[in-house]
Amino acid sequence: MPQPQDYQTLLPVIVLAVWACALLLLDSFLIQRKGLTACLAAAGLAITLGLTLSQIGRSSSGFSGMVVLDGFSTFINALQLVSGLLGVALAYAYVKRMGIERGEYYTLLLFSVVGMMLMAQATDLIVVFIALEMLSIPLYVLAAFNRTQAASEEAGLKYFLLGAFSTGFLVYGITLVYGATASTNLSAIFAAASSTSNLLLTIGAALILVGFGFKVAVVPFHMWTPDVYQGAPTAVTGFMSSGAKIAGFAALLRVFATAFPAIAADMTDILWALAAVTMILGNLVAISQTDIKRMLAYSSIAHAGYILMAFVPYGNPAVAPVSIAAGLFYLAAYVITNFGAWGVVIALEQPDGKGLQISDYSGLFWRKRGLAVAMTVFMLSLIGFPPTIGMVGKFYLFRAIIDGGFTGLAIIGVIASLVSAFYYLRVVVNMFMREGEQKIEREFWLDLTWGAAAFLTVAISLAPGWLFYLASAAGLR
Amino acid sequence: MTAAQIIFLITAAVILGSAFMVVTTKNLVHAALWLIVTLFGAAVLFATLNAGFIAVVQVVIYIGAIAILFIFAVMLTRRSMTDTGPGLNRGWWLSAAIALLTFGGLVWLVSGWGGFTKAAPAYPSGFDAVAALAHALVSPEAFVLPFEVASVLLLAALVGAVYIAFQRKGEE
Repeated sequence: MPQPQDYQTLLPVIVLAVWACALLLLDSFLIQRKGLTACLAAAGLAITLGLTLSQIGRSSSGFSGMVVLDGFSTFINALQLVSGLLGVALAYAYVKRMGIERGEYYTLLLFSVVGMMLMAQATDLIVVFIALEMLSIPLYVLAAFNRTQAASEEAGLKYFLLGAFSTGFLVYGITLVYGATASTNLSAIFAAASSTSNLLLTIGAALILVGFGFKVAVVPFHMWTPDVYQGAPTAVTGFMSSGAKIAGFAALLRVFATAFPAIAADMTDILWALAAVTMILGNLVAISQTDIKRMLAYSSIAHAGYILMAFVPYGNPAVAPVSIAAGLFYLAAYVITNFGAWGVVIALEQPDGKGLQISDYSGLFWRKRGLAVAMTVFMLSLIGFPPTIGMVGKFYLFRAIIDGGFTGLAIIGVIASLVSAFYYLRVVVNMFMREGEQKIEREFWLDLTWGAAAFLTVAISLAPGWLFYLASAAGLR
Repeated sequence: MTAAQIIFLITAAVILGSAFMVVTTKNLVHAALWLIVTLFGAAVLFATLNAGFIAVVQVVIYIGAIAILFIFAVMLTRRSMTDTGPGLNRGWWLSAAIALLTFGGLVWLVSGWGGFTKAAPAYPSGFDAVAALAHALVSPEAFVLPFEVASVLLLAALVGAVYIAFQRKGEE
């Protein structure tokens, strides 16, 4: 029989999964009131968030070492639940406006969050794999949710095919690692790997890295990102660009830091190169974009590169805790800023697909000041300009990387940020210095999302200590 | 040569030959039928490895369900018996080169593995493989968690598939 400890370890995940199934059933009775489904989904996320926060400081493992509860998983899960709540808030009015208001939207979103949370807690490669599918498959469907639009359908299909392809790499990697160590449990792999180091294990780890690289959109596994982010309904893109990235990085970190410290020497070089190429290419290609969704897609690729920087010294016990804390802080900063920016995009998007060009932002400041100021804050935060949380995040990140002895990588990161100022500031220039007209959608939850995100982006940057403290306390078990 | 080796060689030849036919035959229905031969060969391999349950599952699920689904899909969506085209596209040599390279690399890697020379451990007497498998799937000391999550995953996939495929009133 499963012990109470097994259930305690996974309690928030179980509650949310049961809630999602119940919501699926309940939704079929709420035929004309899909807004209520959204509220119930948000309530489920909020209750789970409460449960997760009540677990702060606890540490246990369950199901014979398949899952673990520790500071790291609690931090990541809280972040995932917040991004789920923001995802519901962005979608609430958007799906009505686009004529795609269906109860399945919220059910699938909850299922996806279940997968994301399980991924942060998984300590067995089989659970990692199945959690990855649990988070991906609902996202494939959500990307194609506006299925009467060809672009959305294309986004869903593209994401599905490439996602399935990348899963193949992950499974192949897991197989090779199992062949090398005769186990799928992360700590057992660590024990087996430190006694014998061999090529099979390194290749397996590299294939696992490829699988995760697809999910978090690291160059050269990023090709799907612009098309999917552009074609998917914008509310889905906002949720996907945060949630899938956090989950991918959380699993990457746990798998590599727990199971593969023995091959850190090889992996560090690979991670170094991936981070550098991702930052350079993401920022350079973003310059030539005229569509705001594509621009933010390349921006999200570039930010995957920044976050990957934090993982480069993962095998060095003197530096790793600080650099991982800096990476977690940067993830939190990215989630807040990113949701705000996508909220502004949704506020300007029209049902006929207009309002998505960067030129459509011309003169926004003279029509709606609050929205323009908020967008300016998000753009500055994505560059890493004070006084925003993005600046604080980059500061912690670059300092940790330089302490780890990777000054070259930090210099590449700084130069890439300077390049990125060009395309982020172009949006700001458009809003303040050009003439233009646009229709703006007003809706309470949407306004609250971008308003709160803008407030937090500035406020946390003035007092970042507590968030960094939480990120530092979020250690692996 | 022992009887087991002869059976293995015949099975391997059938698998490779039919797999080659799957990708070279021009008629899609024929390709699906050749695929059934390949899958059946794999089932024979499982049976010779003492994995009787997996062999049965291979026949029931892969041949009985998946291959039949292929044939249905081909017959319902294309003019199946007349629709023929070139089996190779322009990049075939590139794919062939990559496949050969990967195969060679893997053979080279696996040849360094010591497991081939070891004798397979014998089953303890009275060992029931199917019962052990069933136990592994539902025991909290084994794989009950992935098993249960997989069922939730299938539910989510089902909901998604119905949403995508369902034709609503007033839609083209």
